[in-house]
Formats: sequence, C-alpha cells, structure tokens
Amino acid sequence: MKKLIIIALFLSGGLTAYAQEKPKLYTLPSPFERYTHYLATARFMGAVPLGSFADNYIDKASFQNFSISIEWILRNSPISVGGELGSTYFEKRIPRAIYENGDETLSAVQTRTLSQYPVELFGNYSFLPKNATIQPYVQLSGGVSIVDYTLYYGSLSTQHQKVAPKYGIGVGSRFLFKKDGSFGLDVRVKYDGTSYKHEYIEKGVSSVNGSVGVFYRWW
Amino acid sequence: MLKRASIILLIAGLGLTSCSKDPISDLSTEETLVYVTNHDKSADYKQYKTFSIVDSVLVVENERSGTALTDIDRALLQRIMTNMQNLGYKYVNPKNKPDVGINAAWITNTYLNVVSQPSSYYGGYWGGGYGYGYPSYYNYYETSESYWLVSMVDFKNPNTADKTFNVIWDAQIRGAGIGESQFIDKMVDSVFGQSDYLKIN
Repeated sequence: MKKLIIIALFLSGGLTAYAQEKPKLYTLPSPFERYTHYLATARFMGAVPLGSFADNYIDKASFQNFSISIEWILRNSPISVGGELGSTYFEKRIPRAIYENGDETLSAVQTRTLSQYPVELFGNYSFLPKNATIQPYVQLSGGVSIVDYTLYYGSLSTQHQKVAPKYGIGVGSRFLFKKDGSFGLDVRVKYDGTSYKHEYIEKGVSSVNGSVGVFYRWW
Repeated sequence: MLKRASIILLIAGLGLTSCSKDPISDLSTEETLVYVTNHDKSADYKQYKTFSIVDSVLVVENERSGTALTDIDRALLQRIMTNMQNLGYKYVNPKNKPDVGINAAWITNTYLNVVSQPSSYYGGYWGGGYGYGYPSYYNYYETSESYWLVSMVDFKNPNTADKTFNVIWDAQIRGAGIGESQFIDKMVDSVFGQSDYLKIN
C-alpha cells in the first residue's frame, strides 16, 4: 500500500511538473517563426483551358493534374522560394469527321491530347505571419514544361515533344490544421501559360487551375 | 535536410513521369478505322463510263507480293463493285477495254527495329583513365502494320511516253478492325462516301 502511494505521488508530481513546464514552451516564439524552414506541398488540380488553346484544340476541363513542391520559408521575411514539379493532362475526343489536307481527305475519330510536365521555380509572398492559422499568399513562377502533343486519328498517332518555357501567377492560402502544427491544407488558384506552337496550337497553351493540397513543414 | 528534400522531389518526379496514358483504349473497333483518300484534281470523272475490277486481292508484304481471294477479299471486291455501280459506272469485263480499272491490295509493312544496349557506363573503379571496350549489344524487335489500298487507274488516257497508267483516285483504310468481315461494307462505303466527285450519274 505504501508503495502504491509513493508511485501515485511520483506520478502526480511528474504530472504537475509537466503541467508547469508546458507554458514555458511558449515564452519563445515558435521555431517556425525563428528559423528558416522547409515546406512541402502535394496538390491535386482541376484545370480549365483558356483562350486560343481552348478554341482550337481542347476546351474540356481536366482533373488529371498533380504537382508537388518544396519551398524554403525565409526567416524574418514574408518571402518563400521553392520549386514545383507537376503533371497536367488535357484530352478531347472529336467524333468522326472529315479532314482535308492538301489533296488528301481523311475521315477519322480524333483524340486530342496534351501532356505537360512543368518544372518551375517560384516565389511566394505571404501576407500574414508564419504561424497564423490562415496564411494567404500570392505566387509568381517560371520555368520550363516538357510538352507532349499527341494527336490520334483513329488508332494512328502523330506526336510532337518539346521543352517549352512556361510561367504562372497564382493566389492561394494555407490553413494550418492546428496552431503551431506541421500539417495543413493548401488552396490555390493559378494561371499557367506555356509558350508552345504546333499544328492546332497557334498561340501557346493557357489554362487556369484550382488546386487543393496538403502541406507539411519542418525545420 | 536539403538532401532529404531533394530525395522527396526526385521520388515525386519519378512517380509523375512514369504514369503513361492510353487515351485511345476506349475507342470501339469501328472508331479506330481511318479512311484516307487522294484524287487527281485535274481529272474529269464525267469522261469515264465503264469500269472493271481485279479478280483477286493483291497481297503485298514488304517486297514480296502475291494474290489471294479469301471470303473477306471477295466481300471487299463485291462491295467496291456495288459502290461503283451506284455512282453511275457500268461494269464491263476486263477484256472489253474499261475506262477505269480498280485495284485492291492488302499491304503489310514489317519494320525491324534495333535498340542498342547502353554500354557507356563505367564506374572508374579500375582506374587508369580507361573506359571499357564493350562489343555492341543490340536487341531486335519487329513491328508490322497492315492496310487496305484501293486504287482507280485511268485506262482511257494512258501515258504513252513512259507507258504508264495514271492513278486518278486511291483510298487507304487503316485501323484495328480492317481484317474483320463485319466492317468491310462500312469501310468501302465510307471511302466512296467521302469522294463524291466520283459520281457521274
């Protein structure tokens, strides 16, 4: 019995000591505010083609787009910089139609596709401190995109691949799941433009995409 | 920490580029068919009245050729005759000097593809500044592609200088269903259907 009481005392002593220490953690600002730290985001995107790309080639929205990014959140600055790798895919099926090409007449079901693998560097400007639960930001990005234009006539295909310059501009916000936590939700709307010309695509590829992602930050 | 980040990026990159898509896997056999026609724009089709057709299909495989008359070949030739008659041409025996002749061929091209195995990797373990003198290792694989070729030849205006007949119209039929008998009528009707300039009646 004596033993039990001693154990109980020890436990309660330990607990009270822990409870007393806990507030001390917050006498210092969060490490996320004190240090340059890292943040990785995985995004799922829905994209809508715009402009002449939509008019001449594919106007169908796409939900097969993904990206992953990593960034360095700089200490004492609202700026963060990083890199983003993505994969976007547009597709449209045109029912059987007749195409005239010089002296040639061709009748086929067309399947138009455009895949892109963008590799970009970006800079974010955050409007609120790094530990705010809601952190809106604006983003500018630039880089290259590995473009694959594959046009199918029935089961025959023509393909064209190129590495083309691309840029983007976006607005978004991060939402921390819990105060001072590592995980959160990222929501972003971004305009993407790729300078690419081939056959049906005469004035580049432009689209606007909305994404929902999750992020993890560490230091 | 930087290392960890770059590994994450690398894994993500591999994952993203390795997913290949097959956007035409949902096409029906009929939808895979592609009809290509060409014609001589200077030809006046009204001048032709009669036609004849080969009695069997020419089978061309790479450089070799022969003739065949299977059920599907017969169906194809029969359907071509029906279409020509509907356009206003009169069928005559090949001996009776037709104005135009129709050829039908099944063409298969086989390609031999070669890939070379990478041999330029060497780790430098043995030192001395030498690379390795690999023999060349190659892998071969074969692909083949078949299509129907129907052509119309002008017998009325032979080119006497070099003794040739001009091809005034031809049609290629390509795709997945070209060897299936249920698509024969559809295929032949389609190539004639998209060539309304052939109509003389």
